[in-house]
Amino acid sequence: MINTIKIQRAIKDLTQEALADKIGVSRQTINSIENNRYIPSTVLALKLSKVFGISVNEIFELDDED
Amino acid sequence: MERNQLHLRLLPTNFKKIGYGILVLSVLFVFLFKLNLLKVDQEIVWVISKIGILISLLILAITRNKIEDELTFRIRVQAIGRSFIFGVLYVIFNLLLKLQFSEHFVLDDSAVGILLLMFIFYFITFHSILYNR
Repeated sequence: MINTIKIQRAIKDLTQEALADKIGVSRQTINSIENNRYIPSTVLALKLSKVFGISVNEIFELDDED
Repeated sequence: MERNQLHLRLLPTNFKKIGYGILVLSVLFVFLFKLNLLKVDQEIVWVISKIGILISLLILAITRNKIEDELTFRIRVQAIGRSFIFGVLYVIFNLLLKLQFSEHFVLDDSAVGILLLMFIFYFITFHSILYNR
């Protein structure tokens, strides 16, 4: 699974900390998701989608291994 | 929505202070005894301090972090699982080490008993949650 969180964060000018605060998780969790060490739940994916104002499909994409 | 998800029932974050407090008191109790400031039987000191340390570690293990999210939950479950496996391997390797260095082929029955109880509790919990999803 690949994601565009880092890009979306840059577009919205949000730090990992600020994004984490908005969706109620720790900064480390955002970092783990960004670096593909952790795949978030649907609830968290939808929260990210809401913050960025785009669909979940635009944030997360399946890669060849999935 | 999160009410429907599986979750661990953890103590509120404030319990960390209680956990650390009991831990410090338990260690302090041993130090005071070693400095001959307490006129208590040695056995009583060891029992009280060991129980104190166990209770404090249990409280610390089941207390929520300041930010408890789904990744923390996952890490917590992994840590519990690995600790369980480590406990079983420790008992087995401890027996082999004893055999290697002291020629005593004695298994720690109390540790085996606790681990067997933990396995029984694990299977009951796992299957009851699995079938009542």
